[in-house]
Amino acid sequence: MQMVSGRTSTRGSMNTTQTDAAERAAELLASIAETRSRAAFSELFRHFAPKLQSYATRQFGNEQTAMDLVQETMTNVWHKAHLFKPDKGSPSTWIFTIARNIRFDLLRKNKKRKDDISADDLWPILSEQNDNLDDGYSLDNDVLMQEISQYYAQLPDAQRVVIEKIYIEGKSQQEVSDALGVPLGTIKSRTRLALKKLKELIVNDD
Amino acid sequence: MMIKSHPGEGLLYQYAAGDVSAAMAIVVGTHVDMCKACRRTVCDIEQKLCEDNLDTIVNVASNAMTKAQCDQMLEAIFESSVCSKLENEPNETLYLEGRCFTLPRTLAHNSHRIGEWSKLVGKLWRAPLTLDNGNQTNLIYMAPSAKVPEHTHKGQEATLVLDGVFNDERDEYRDGDFVLLDPSKTHTPETREQDCLTLATLDDPLHFTSGISRLLNPFSSLFFRA
Repeated sequence: MQMVSGRTSTRGSMNTTQTDAAERAAELLASIAETRSRAAFSELFRHFAPKLQSYATRQFGNEQTAMDLVQETMTNVWHKAHLFKPDKGSPSTWIFTIARNIRFDLLRKNKKRKDDISADDLWPILSEQNDNLDDGYSLDNDVLMQEISQYYAQLPDAQRVVIEKIYIEGKSQQEVSDALGVPLGTIKSRTRLALKKLKELIVNDD
Repeated sequence: MMIKSHPGEGLLYQYAAGDVSAAMAIVVGTHVDMCKACRRTVCDIEQKLCEDNLDTIVNVASNAMTKAQCDQMLEAIFESSVCSKLENEPNETLYLEGRCFTLPRTLAHNSHRIGEWSKLVGKLWRAPLTLDNGNQTNLIYMAPSAKVPEHTHKGQEATLVLDGVFNDERDEYRDGDFVLLDPSKTHTPETREQDCLTLATLDDPLHFTSGISRLLNPFSSLFFRA
């Protein structure tokens, strides 16, 4: 069985495949959240800051404003890493939505007053409050059991093990993380990717 | 219950990209709270936007940050303190006319922006939701058998049903339905046995088009101006 070891991994760079990059970024976010690791944040920063700068330069056509967007976005990532939910989407999409919010506010900055509504009120991705909205990827449990028994054999080993432990053995993601010695963020992202893959398999089979 | 009237994909795209007014963002965002299908679409669009705008950027422009700039920014970030912006406690409950409504997430987050209710023509009530300097959107409450006089809109009107049901010439709209009105079409919303709470935004005042209600035109901005 192929098992990628977690934070102790020697894999350094994020430019292997998309999935690896997403897993690596999720690990980095997890260690920023859990241990305030500056090294992890620096690695994440070096990956995302140039991309954000390029996005912002195209949006604003102004270097200084572009740098403001990079700094404000990455400042949020540093302080709010614990709000990233690996089962809801990829790390880069999360960071993109933070940048989208910062852009919305920067575009209105000269008009803005203290009590004005801000992008974080409109797109509350960084709210500390838990939301009760359904997870778009969650499937009904009984259906899931039936479907999985047919399809889960087709998953990559690392994802299948996680799915087995959670949905067949009934373990929590934290317990799976402990049992496999893999960071929680990685377990969540494997669960998400596996459910997504299963959904594709199920849909394509119809 | 199935929601049958949704924002178009183009509007969801603008919403996900942040290319909408605050008023439109709150109406679309509240619909997205209520609608699982649109929530999924918005997630997919955000992922697509991210792929196009961030993921695929490999070569960076000539003005790319130098190592010194990176280090300087990192230092500034590590020294920054957590943004202490006070989050307003979300309030999900709205009491009106003896009814108790539960507000979807985005509205609950902004419940402190909801102003005083005032009575309008007929059996209509309105409360402004102040967004920023001079801009607002409105909560409109229609009691049972209320009728808004026939009107057109100079601007674009977006209406979202939060609770209840209303009808117009074309259709019936229920919880979660999002209606974007074409400025050229006349429109006569009414309720029947049930009441209806909506969130509505429009760029310009209503223009009443029939009979005696035309007399309301000079005052329509008092009623429905967003």
